[in-house]
Amino acid sequence: MPIFDRYVLESSCDEMFDSQKNIKEPWIEVTNELKSLGFETLEEKQTEIDWILEDNGVTYNIYNNNIDGSANRSWSMDPIPFVISESEWETITKGLQQRATLLNLILKDLYSEQKLIKENIIPAEVIFSHKGFSPEVHDFGLKENFNLYFYATDLARGPDGKMWVINDRTQAPSGLGYAIENRLVMNVIAKELYPNIETKKLFSFLEEFKELFKKFKHDADSVAALLTPGPYNETYFEHSYLSSFLNIELVQGEDLLTKNGSLWLKNLGGLRKVDTLIRRVDDRYCDPLELKNSSKLGVAGLVDVVRQNNLNMINPVGSAILENIGLNPFMEKVAHYFLNETLILPQIATWWCGQEKELEFVLENLDKLIVKKIDRTESVQVYFGKNMSGEERENLKNLLLQHPNQYVAQEEISFSTVPYYTNKSIEPRSATIRTFSLKSEEGYSVMNGGLVRVSSIKDALLVSSQRGGTSKDLWILGSDAKTINFVNRFENTKYSDTFINNLSTLKAENLFWLGRYLSRLITTTRFVLHIVKKMTNFYRYEGMISKESQEILQKALTHLTMTYPGFFSEDNKKKLERNPMIEIASVVKDASRQGSLSFTFAMLSNTNINLKDILAIESTKVYEKMKKEWSMFAKKTTHSNISMASELERMLLYIIAYKGLVKESIYKEQGLILYDIGYNIESALLLISKARSILCWHVEKSVEYDILMGLLNSIESFNAYRAKYKSSLLLENVIEFLIFNRQFPKSLAYRTDELLQALKLLPKSKDSLSSYEKPIADANELLKSLNISDLMTINENETLYATFDNALSKLAGFYIECSNEFSKTYFSHYDE
Amino acid sequence: MTYTLYHKTEFHYQSLVTFSHNIARLKPKDTPYQKLLEFELEIIPNAYESHEFIDMFGNENIHLLVREAHHSLCVIGKSRVEIYPEILDAHSNRLKSNSITYGQALERLSKFNSEDLEAKQFLFESELIPTHSKAIQSYALESFRHERDLFEAANEFMGRIFHDFEFLAGFSDVTTPVEKIFKAKKGVCQDFAQLAIAALRSIGLPAKYMSGYIETLPPEGQEKLFGADASHAWFALYIPHAGWAEFDPTNNIIPSGQHILLGEGRDYADIAPLKGVVQSSGGSYLSVMVDVKQDVPMKLSQQMQSQSQTQSQMQTQTQY
Repeated sequence: MPIFDRYVLESSCDEMFDSQKNIKEPWIEVTNELKSLGFETLEEKQTEIDWILEDNGVTYNIYNNNIDGSANRSWSMDPIPFVISESEWETITKGLQQRATLLNLILKDLYSEQKLIKENIIPAEVIFSHKGFSPEVHDFGLKENFNLYFYATDLARGPDGKMWVINDRTQAPSGLGYAIENRLVMNVIAKELYPNIETKKLFSFLEEFKELFKKFKHDADSVAALLTPGPYNETYFEHSYLSSFLNIELVQGEDLLTKNGSLWLKNLGGLRKVDTLIRRVDDRYCDPLELKNSSKLGVAGLVDVVRQNNLNMINPVGSAILENIGLNPFMEKVAHYFLNETLILPQIATWWCGQEKELEFVLENLDKLIVKKIDRTESVQVYFGKNMSGEERENLKNLLLQHPNQYVAQEEISFSTVPYYTNKSIEPRSATIRTFSLKSEEGYSVMNGGLVRVSSIKDALLVSSQRGGTSKDLWILGSDAKTINFVNRFENTKYSDTFINNLSTLKAENLFWLGRYLSRLITTTRFVLHIVKKMTNFYRYEGMISKESQEILQKALTHLTMTYPGFFSEDNKKKLERNPMIEIASVVKDASRQGSLSFTFAMLSNTNINLKDILAIESTKVYEKMKKEWSMFAKKTTHSNISMASELERMLLYIIAYKGLVKESIYKEQGLILYDIGYNIESALLLISKARSILCWHVEKSVEYDILMGLLNSIESFNAYRAKYKSSLLLENVIEFLIFNRQFPKSLAYRTDELLQALKLLPKSKDSLSSYEKPIADANELLKSLNISDLMTINENETLYATFDNALSKLAGFYIECSNEFSKTYFSHYDE
Repeated sequence: MTYTLYHKTEFHYQSLVTFSHNIARLKPKDTPYQKLLEFELEIIPNAYESHEFIDMFGNENIHLLVREAHHSLCVIGKSRVEIYPEILDAHSNRLKSNSITYGQALERLSKFNSEDLEAKQFLFESELIPTHSKAIQSYALESFRHERDLFEAANEFMGRIFHDFEFLAGFSDVTTPVEKIFKAKKGVCQDFAQLAIAALRSIGLPAKYMSGYIETLPPEGQEKLFGADASHAWFALYIPHAGWAEFDPTNNIIPSGQHILLGEGRDYADIAPLKGVVQSSGGSYLSVMVDVKQDVPMKLSQQMQSQSQTQSQMQTQTQY
């Protein structure tokens, strides 16, 4: 068997080969297939897997210091599964059920009577010195719905050939989504790769999950939700994936509020009660009121909602106490105490340093042991005794003597290896299995599968997705009791989300701001671009274009971006005249300056990332590309007019392309309407700003021509104007065109009509005018009542068209009021 | 002795607040030597809803949701409390006679003893009192020698804090780290209490934070003004076999009737009188007014010092 030749030599304690180098029984079929197919086919299948995963957008974000945000890493999976026989899995299942039951009993006891502490089964110090113990829920343990519902266990095969428990994950276990996706991808390639192997399915476990939500359902309108820390989290992909798979809402802290002792989901149509919350936010971050005060990931009042028995949490706040290696040395005693049983699954030998004898042993054998902090709520600390220098070991000894209660030591063990395909060879790598258990009426159900993580380098003992590495599907051989086909995930994807009433407030708010920021970015970029080009021409034609018109346009830019004092600065007057590019470059690139293009771009980035799951993948790709280009552009320090103009032009094309993709990837009811409202409000405000800077001033004809041209060009409207008026530039005509014309889509009157229509389509719209509609109706009336010739009257010695300026200022007030009232009604749930 | 207490906390916000969750802990605790006679809580604007519960340390918490638009939130706790000095004295005497040496205490705490379990909650680092430095530990060990009686050692330790540290309002706030107080050798009652607790925990002894009030007397010949008092803090040390012994390092006294207990916890964060979360785009500041009046005034030999709180606990969950 040539493909395993090298493998056999390199592996010692292995999943596939026994000590006599014979293939173990469960692996026979898989190896037969692999042998007959050879590396060519494996390589082909690996490519296929990579393609499917990338196409499905499966990612695992890695925390790094790279602010450019290239943090998204594609998920990867090996084409060779991890195989376990049906009979071994039965034992493992029993062991996991027992451990889940025990941990649940511990959880309930620690937050109620604390018999385990009082009867000296578990030392008080193991609990109280661990930050996962939450005093806030000290008396929740006896609540019927205070349970370890969902539990993940990391397993690896020890030197004795048995599967050992490595870690318990209880507060917000991750990995289930990846395990499902791995299986779905594996299903596709297994048809050709392993056509004859039958494995147990994941389906029934996922059905039980859904059953749990049904059981918890409070009333017809209440919902279940998955609380995510948000798109920046390393496993956000999984949160969004799981929520759609389990048919529940995906929410962030800002989507929720608490009142009447209950938890509510903020939707555009109003508040909906949340009866069940799966949370992927750690214990201490769930509630800024009672838990970590600085947390922005939770919901104020959440703990009190649970206290008042109005929410089922999977898992409840307080579960972090079970992620405590300090419990390991006492688990045998606990099993005896609660169940009168012995532990089925072995654990790594663990010594808690809080006991005199144990501490002594640890100090004497430090070079052979691994020392860990029992508490991983703040940081994960692991010390490998054998790798330490004398001094490091002394420091560790002192640490242990100072805080013996907070440390355990474990035996260093090498776990089994599995075959891993890489670069046309198969190599042995260490691996851990993450299994998943769910509490049901009868006890715990264990998923017939799991997530296998393979270390990134040979001989690595630590396996973690944070550190890189790849994954595998876990195959349990055998058939299911029930023969139901695993349903395609899209069959269950519900479309109710797409109705405007159920659009989450957070998403709605982001869509609204996406519209506003995009409009701001496009308008400002075009305007800057025009100014820069004008300046180039000024030099080129040796002053044929008046300096005065330039100054008017530059000041208009300061108004438009509100980057005061900007071109109004008296102190820098000389400098600004000599080299206006310095100020322009700052308005373009200085991200710390509110109103600059870079600043607006950063704000847009935030909204974009929050809308990732609504927008089409293409738009995300364009966005990522644009972001990269922008950050490169913003880093350049030279301010030559020509390079600035050409770069801005390129950026503009990206932004326009992105805008086009946004508009076509979502439809009105799905939320585009909010984007439209935001876009129209912002465009109206910016148009008014420009009009006040440019159209309200009585200037000499040649200057007027320049600035009118500038204005029209900066909104890409010169050709449209020419088509309509077929004349040279006249102030009256430009005003009619940009402000009053009801056919031209960029005019103020047109935007006002659009807004009035859009606002009517919103869930809380009434027959009478809503608070946010009224100002736009007023603006409309005002626009109708104005007459251009009135606006153009001016006294001899004055330069400002005061009536016009006044009217514009009033109009701006109406749009701002609309925006404020709109936000109050739909985003703050002011009256509910 | 009966005291009438008035404790007003007011938050002022830069921008309008329409939704705010708060937890008030203003209801004095019942203890063997202290009885709450009357209590009333006033909230302006009115709370949309409130829910009372008791925390792990036995303190009464009131969760308040305010939904009326407001620029300031005012929460006033008014209570009448009776103190029984004779019970306190008897307790003190019992502590003194049952006290054991520091060495014996360490020995006993290292083993399982059902009496000590509750106290062990107060043995470890907490939010505001994280792991201590070696310097603080050495500072404590000067008073605590293995063969020394624990009560006596703690009494001396209290005296050393009183003499080594300067009472200075305005230097610190509720977030000032214990280490900074230790280096600067100045602070207010809360800092001294937390420093003592950090030191005691660093040498393996359970210690807890006591929050409450103390009556202050105006300078000789002047009339006392309403609201001139402040909230106060001190600490309690667990003496195995004897119980909790209270010490006030700010005034160098063992409470014997002048101290009114509001609540207790691992540190200030567990028992902050008012904390909350608002949705708002601006900042906020806090003002506090406290009045403590004894029904029949008692002559105090020295003017008591206490603290005026300056730091806001309000968190701003900023929106766009």
